[in-house]
Amino acid sequence: MNKVLLRYTNLVVLTLLVLSFFSFMLAYLFPGDVLANLSGVQQHDPANLEQLKARYQLDSNIFVQYWYYLMDLYRGDWGQSFSSGLPLYEEVARTLPASIELSTYALLVSFAVGLPLGFIAGLRHHRNTDYALLSMSVLGYSIPVFWLAMILILTFALQLGWFPLSGRISLLYEIPRVSGFILLDIVWSDVSNKSEVLLDAFRHLILPTLSIAAFTTTVILRITRRSVIETMNSDYIQAAYARGLNARQVLFRHGIRNAIMPILPLLAMQFTTLLTNAMIVEVIFSWPGIGNWLIQAIYQRDFPAIRVGMLAVSALVVIFTMTIDLGIRLIDPKKSKVERVAI
Amino acid sequence: MSRFNLYQEEFHPSPLQHTWLEFRENHIAVVGLLCFLFFVIVIVLCPILAPYNPLTQNIDAILIPPAWDDNGGIMNLFGTDALGRDLLSRVMYGCRMTFGISILLVLVAMIIGVTLGAIAGMSKGVRSSVVNHTLDSVMAIPTLLIAIIIIAIVGTGLVNSMWAIVLALTPQFIHHTRDFVKQERKKEYVMAAKLDGATPLQIVTRSILPNMGEILVVQGTLALSIAILDISALGFLNLGAQPPSPELGTMLSEGIEVAYIAPWSIALPGFAIFLMMISINLVGDGLRSALRNRLLH
Repeated sequence: MNKVLLRYTNLVVLTLLVLSFFSFMLAYLFPGDVLANLSGVQQHDPANLEQLKARYQLDSNIFVQYWYYLMDLYRGDWGQSFSSGLPLYEEVARTLPASIELSTYALLVSFAVGLPLGFIAGLRHHRNTDYALLSMSVLGYSIPVFWLAMILILTFALQLGWFPLSGRISLLYEIPRVSGFILLDIVWSDVSNKSEVLLDAFRHLILPTLSIAAFTTTVILRITRRSVIETMNSDYIQAAYARGLNARQVLFRHGIRNAIMPILPLLAMQFTTLLTNAMIVEVIFSWPGIGNWLIQAIYQRDFPAIRVGMLAVSALVVIFTMTIDLGIRLIDPKKSKVERVAI
Repeated sequence: MSRFNLYQEEFHPSPLQHTWLEFRENHIAVVGLLCFLFFVIVIVLCPILAPYNPLTQNIDAILIPPAWDDNGGIMNLFGTDALGRDLLSRVMYGCRMTFGISILLVLVAMIIGVTLGAIAGMSKGVRSSVVNHTLDSVMAIPTLLIAIIIIAIVGTGLVNSMWAIVLALTPQFIHHTRDFVKQERKKEYVMAAKLDGATPLQIVTRSILPNMGEILVVQGTLALSIAILDISALGFLNLGAQPPSPELGTMLSEGIEVAYIAPWSIALPGFAIFLMMISINLVGDGLRSALRNRLLH
């Protein structure tokens, strides 16, 4: 147990160090002045220049510079953006929660829909229900996420007018930012018409969440189906039937637990795909998340923002996957090595 | 086997034939294969088939609806876009660009990945464990994210996005080749080759790789669908192919501006991507279950 914990901590710290070193190297790899790429200050007078040079230790060797860079990262002093001039730490702190929020809701929706449907398909293996669900899942994971989002906008926002077109919340409402998660912020805020505001935020959430969730739902459905089929064909299920348990008892006492255990790690892997899809969908729905922000930064060649945004996203992905991996390793005794997704 | 046979001779299909027999049983997968072949024909013959040049602008015929609409005409089957370019020709050339480039990228990634994977699979000890850990962490990051990061560094453009996608696709091929080589190395036919005095290079190229073909095809279809999605997503985000060129994702992002008055300008290119993805996924699924069934029997 302690060994596993130690190994994982080691791995996370090492990966994060590599990522941060890579992001530091980006300041050299990007076109333009290294100092400008690090600090985000483009025009400086001579006095200022000396001061900045001293701060980033540009005259010392590269490892000393990296050490100072790490200290800056740790203090939250990440430089400022070329385009807006705002401190990058605040920009990331503003946009990252919005992305996490969107991805989390999409993940929840896909779990809520994908798991039960996967179980139904797996239990009705090789019958019409199974075939219908399977064909639907092929449609679901073939559809390009940006096209789905655009069709949803065209039909539900423009033609029918049921849902708003873009953004997180109507401009009429002013919600103070506490956590960055819009629903939580509304609940914590002291606006008078809370239920109305919540409803509005919900209506903004529905279309982006659905367009991201479509892909993940079908993947979850297929992984679950395969796992259920394999579990229900195994010997201990036959043994349970032989002992005289009926189908219901076998499923609830033996089937579900054993079928869910191997798919959990594979599902955790889906979070990263979800985040990428969220980045695209954010651009379409003008959702103020990290994906939208990062892609705008690429358009504007805002190098400090790209450097920091890349570090934030990949660090989030690494920490999340490693944590889920560790959690599963700790609760599942059968698990000895990392498995890959098979659908 | 429904063929008439006078003698009760047993029929032993070769592994490849066996896979094909299993695959043929799955009618939906066969339809997917036909659809796939249709796209291949379109991308090969599109200079002959396409009625117009995809870049020619015709100011007299702006935003004509498709032929099945009341206001549409037979001159432009799929209608025209906001600059009067014929949408049918654009979609055809777009398939050529998106699909053709994706096939190319997958082949390049496959060659690089199999080479590196074979080296990793044949090596032992520290070197192989370092490769394993690096790969596992890289594989956790989605390809599109890697591609976006690479494009952020090297700048936007079609060629840059192609490099980015090749780099992003390669790790999976390395991973699968390495696992396969590791697993096969312990088998007896490899041992026999080794006793005959084969060098590691000969073992890999003559004994192990011929057995890997089917796995590579399955992995290739998977990579192909990822490549198509990524290249069109990058085009859509204006990070890949740039506007005048007929790339399906780029066409979608151009179509957004007129989406409300001309919904066909985003519906048709998107549908082409969708159809491509379906056919590739059906073929991939069919192959995978055919292989699984073959190994069961």
